[in-house]
Amino acid sequence: MRPENYEAQRQPPSHEYELNIGPNHPGIEGNYAFKLRLHGDTVLEGKADAGYLHRGFEKLMEGRLWIQNLAITPRICVPDPVPMEVSYVLAVEELCGLEVPERAQWLRVLQLELSRIAAHLFTFGGHAATTGMYSTMFWGMADRDLVLDLFEELTGGRVYHIYNIPGGVRRDIPDGFLDRVKRTLDYLESRLPDYDNLLFTNQVFVQRAKGVGTMSREQALEWGVTGPNLRATGLKFDVRRDDPYLVYEDLEFEIPSEEAGDAWARTLVRRKELVESIRIARQVVAALPKIRGTIRCPIPNPLAWSVPAGSAYTRVESSKGELAWYVVSNGGERPYRTHVRGPSQMHAVQVLEKLSVGARLEDIAQTMFSLDACPPEVDR
Amino acid sequence: MSKDLSTWLDTLLNELQGIEVRRRSSRRIRVDVQPDALPALLELLRGRASYVHLSAISCVDWIDEGEFELVYHVWSYEIGSLVSAHTRIARDPGVYISVYDIYTPAAFFERDIHEMFGVFFEGSPDMSRFILTEWDGPPPMRKDFDSEAWVNAHFDFQDYQPDWLQEIEAKGGGVAVRPDEQRFSRRDLDAS
Amino acid sequence: MRDIDYKDKGGVLNPLKNLSFFGRKAVTVPLEPRPASANYRGFHLNDWETCIGCSTCQKVCDNAAITMVRIPDLPEDPVQGIRNLRPAIDYGRCCWCALCVDLCPTGSISLSREYVHTCLDSELDSYFVLPDAKGIHGTPYPKGWAKSEDADLVALERERMEELEPAERIGHFQEIVAGYDSNQAIIEASRCVQCGMCFDACPTHMNAPEYIRAIWKGDPEQAVREIYRTNPFAHTCGRVCTHRCEDACSVGHRGTPIAIRWLKRYAMDAVDHERVKAIAAEGKARFLSGKRVAVVGAGPAGLTAAFDLIKQGHEVTVLEAQAKAGGMVRYGIPDYRMPPDRIDRDVDVITSLGVKIQYQTRVGKDVTMAELERDYDAVILTIGLWMGRSTRIPGSDSPRVKRAVTLLRDVADQVKVSIPASVIVIGGGNVAMDVARTVARLQKQTFGAVKVTVTALEDLEHFLADPQEIKEAREEGIEILDARGPQEILFKPRKYEVDKVHGLRTWRVLSIFDDQGRFAPRYDEADEQIHEGEMVIEAIGQAAEVDLLGEDLTERLEWMRGRLKVDGQGRTNLPWLWAAGDMVLGPDVVSAVADGHRVAASINTYLSIQEDAA
Repeated sequence: MRPENYEAQRQPPSHEYELNIGPNHPGIEGNYAFKLRLHGDTVLEGKADAGYLHRGFEKLMEGRLWIQNLAITPRICVPDPVPMEVSYVLAVEELCGLEVPERAQWLRVLQLELSRIAAHLFTFGGHAATTGMYSTMFWGMADRDLVLDLFEELTGGRVYHIYNIPGGVRRDIPDGFLDRVKRTLDYLESRLPDYDNLLFTNQVFVQRAKGVGTMSREQALEWGVTGPNLRATGLKFDVRRDDPYLVYEDLEFEIPSEEAGDAWARTLVRRKELVESIRIARQVVAALPKIRGTIRCPIPNPLAWSVPAGSAYTRVESSKGELAWYVVSNGGERPYRTHVRGPSQMHAVQVLEKLSVGARLEDIAQTMFSLDACPPEVDR
Repeated sequence: MSKDLSTWLDTLLNELQGIEVRRRSSRRIRVDVQPDALPALLELLRGRASYVHLSAISCVDWIDEGEFELVYHVWSYEIGSLVSAHTRIARDPGVYISVYDIYTPAAFFERDIHEMFGVFFEGSPDMSRFILTEWDGPPPMRKDFDSEAWVNAHFDFQDYQPDWLQEIEAKGGGVAVRPDEQRFSRRDLDAS
Repeated sequence: MRDIDYKDKGGVLNPLKNLSFFGRKAVTVPLEPRPASANYRGFHLNDWETCIGCSTCQKVCDNAAITMVRIPDLPEDPVQGIRNLRPAIDYGRCCWCALCVDLCPTGSISLSREYVHTCLDSELDSYFVLPDAKGIHGTPYPKGWAKSEDADLVALERERMEELEPAERIGHFQEIVAGYDSNQAIIEASRCVQCGMCFDACPTHMNAPEYIRAIWKGDPEQAVREIYRTNPFAHTCGRVCTHRCEDACSVGHRGTPIAIRWLKRYAMDAVDHERVKAIAAEGKARFLSGKRVAVVGAGPAGLTAAFDLIKQGHEVTVLEAQAKAGGMVRYGIPDYRMPPDRIDRDVDVITSLGVKIQYQTRVGKDVTMAELERDYDAVILTIGLWMGRSTRIPGSDSPRVKRAVTLLRDVADQVKVSIPASVIVIGGGNVAMDVARTVARLQKQTFGAVKVTVTALEDLEHFLADPQEIKEAREEGIEILDARGPQEILFKPRKYEVDKVHGLRTWRVLSIFDDQGRFAPRYDEADEQIHEGEMVIEAIGQAAEVDLLGEDLTERLEWMRGRLKVDGQGRTNLPWLWAAGDMVLGPDVVSAVADGHRVAASINTYLSIQEDAA
């Protein structure tokens, strides 16, 4: 089927040609387009093209009450919504000077790590699929659903949790919830050898991913790369440890890193983070019964809530890298300006463009998935 | 190493003229700087004090003051602190200098700000459209652009006539308060 | 901790590992519907019995997904704070954040544990739902996300107000409550959900949501401006209003209503008096109509009418029999509830606009109604209820038996009143409480001890006085006896020129009204009590002193059951004469204010028509 206004164009004979991947393409994460100029199989230039999922959230948030914006924040990045919520409420709390009860902070950490697990399981599947290995995707989706079950129970929503609120969280945990978290964590951990067997030690995948989309540490730093992608170049930097928020200072965890800086190293870092996230979640599960008290400090009536004038920049470590909200209040009942800095704003645009130069066509999709680029973060 | 660097930072911030430094916490420093001095400050922060990571550039439209505020958030992996450099430029004509030569990530943020606020960055590698490719209106993040009015002017909303509503209307009831007629709807909330 | 061994490349037999998967169960998702988790945010459920139609859900809705629908079959009662509106949800907009649940004042909304709703394009109407307790599909899925203590965003507790302890307050007439400071006021104001139930319930429809909002924004001047739009007796109503707004407050359904009255008082006290005068004068007509209006009685109704009329450009003269303005508020309400300097301020605001008050001018004596009719374009009667009613039981005509209004007026006028060490009050309304508590204070000052007995016809459940008043009276050592019908006032054997009261004989009341609702108390004569006391005060109601009208005018006017007959706008059957306030409506300050506005509007129309005709 051709569009109505389609007209075949004659091009002068050339060795070069253009190819559009996306906005709807299995090799692209989300609704996003990547325009390539190719010579044979080799990419000469790649141009990212966003805007297919632009919802104008930052503008929208300027028109809503501080608390109404909670419903928007998780929608910015669908696979990993919790860091969006948490960093927004951290910004509001910083502006208001709210003291968040300890129990709420631990609950936030639990959500953040569960969300990281779910997001990584999602990404592995996507990444494997770009190399033609679909089983990981099916497994990842099925296992991710177990985490979503936990979210459903804890927050009332499977994907858009809207569970964090400035001052704390909205509800305490249901009865027996921690046992079920423990069970799910045990199960996920028991699945890791299967995943290793299927993907991470699978030579089909290893050979395919090694040497793809390689960047050096210097390049990564220059290009503003963050998160697992940065750690895959050997720099052990993690916002959770180096610019700590919530109660991460009290938690024990390693920061996995790799040296190679290619698609393989990035995936491997995520695979190792899965273990660390399970470890952190277990610490929370063990600690929560001992941390009693409220889950939210008193907050004003949402309809009457004016936040003191000022600005706050709050960073958290999402599954994809450094995520931050810059929130400005002019003392009003709504934010004067909110700006979200998603890690994918670097990864999906400049980094992807730079890594694609000289790459082979079949590696483009893998490069994008290995960067864990999330176009909704770019579009907002 | 990092101790030396933070000493460097202190010296640097003390020596520079015309900047205002506020330490908001151990890892957050706010610097207010004149627009002509900002590139030099960033250059020094990056080159001499290890602030190699440009986390973001945020733009705020202070329409009442006729100014755009540009905020450059830079992070030092070695010192472990975030400097937010605030500067204000005139809203009209809204032209500023690119810091792409200092920080590569600036290209994305400057392009984004150009698209959303209409600030032109001289020397930025690409000021073409990115997200709003087919947009023909004013830069939408400017405060004088009313997105709700635009939406109302450009889209039709679903009009529902369910059976239950018709039954209630037959009895003399019906829709009493539409969402936009709410006594304190979002439109007049600030006006009062 | 398990780590990955990715250097293990396996051997040729490695793929055989996967044979183990033959023995494992595949991941399957059952197809039959199941309820979601216990906290799931599914579709809306709304308990129509509990819902009051306050529209708070609509206000907090992120996506403007809620439309309020009027349902004629449901009850509508502004006094109780119930509207026949119910929320309808547009699921094309809803984002399931459940803020509507968390901010619902009554807790009627919840979300169900149901996952799925879908339809064909032709059935899009099914996305617009008026949820009741059965939910979107009529199949009762269990409740999911519902009101819970930790998620509740409604502040149910009232900000505490400092007040004097009973022991500290009984010996004098200083005001009992301290009033909010600005911090407390902002906290209290910010509890408001802006539903406007108070606006509907208030007789004069004060813009309470607006002034509360101004207070929480830290702008008391704006609050004063909102207050003066509808009520020039702002200081008075900030202290002694019967606050029907608070009875209707939607937050009051599960918690304590917003202290609307105290917030008004805060705003009035927070703004400089000169500023208040300037704000009250905003919108005053710049022209003079040349019309003259006389108001008889400088109470709330009369002065409110005067306030409106002077702002509309008419010339207003108020004739007041007493030495000071304020009417029943000044002379009927004790100082510990209503300090006189605040009444002075209210009056000062009104006179500063140009209203002339002629004090100590008694109509019927110093000036006649006929003269008023001749000299003015319109006359308003707002003479209040100054004549205390009597029980007419044997002995009640003795000079040692007082009427509450008279006594209260004497105290307010600082006339020396001699109060004996023990007093009996007959009556169960607010006036009875006022007089009992006033007497208690005088006794404390004179004798150092309180001995006041209040006997009321009603039982405690049906008492007419505010529960707060009863509570405070009891705290101050006043004995309150319910369901006692007064039969006879007993006197000591006659030794002196004047009778000396010995006590009151009462029977227990079985019922007060007969089947037709007429006043016909039945008593249990076996249950007789004698209450000792040296003075009896009757506080069983008041009447208007209408003899000032003169015989001729009384003849020309229409009456109904002893009260002057007026239409909905306060007009009598004579075109130049209006009546308003307590004498028409019975005692209530804020109703009198509302009546003043009503009459002023009617007069303004009347005078404008005259103007056009001329």
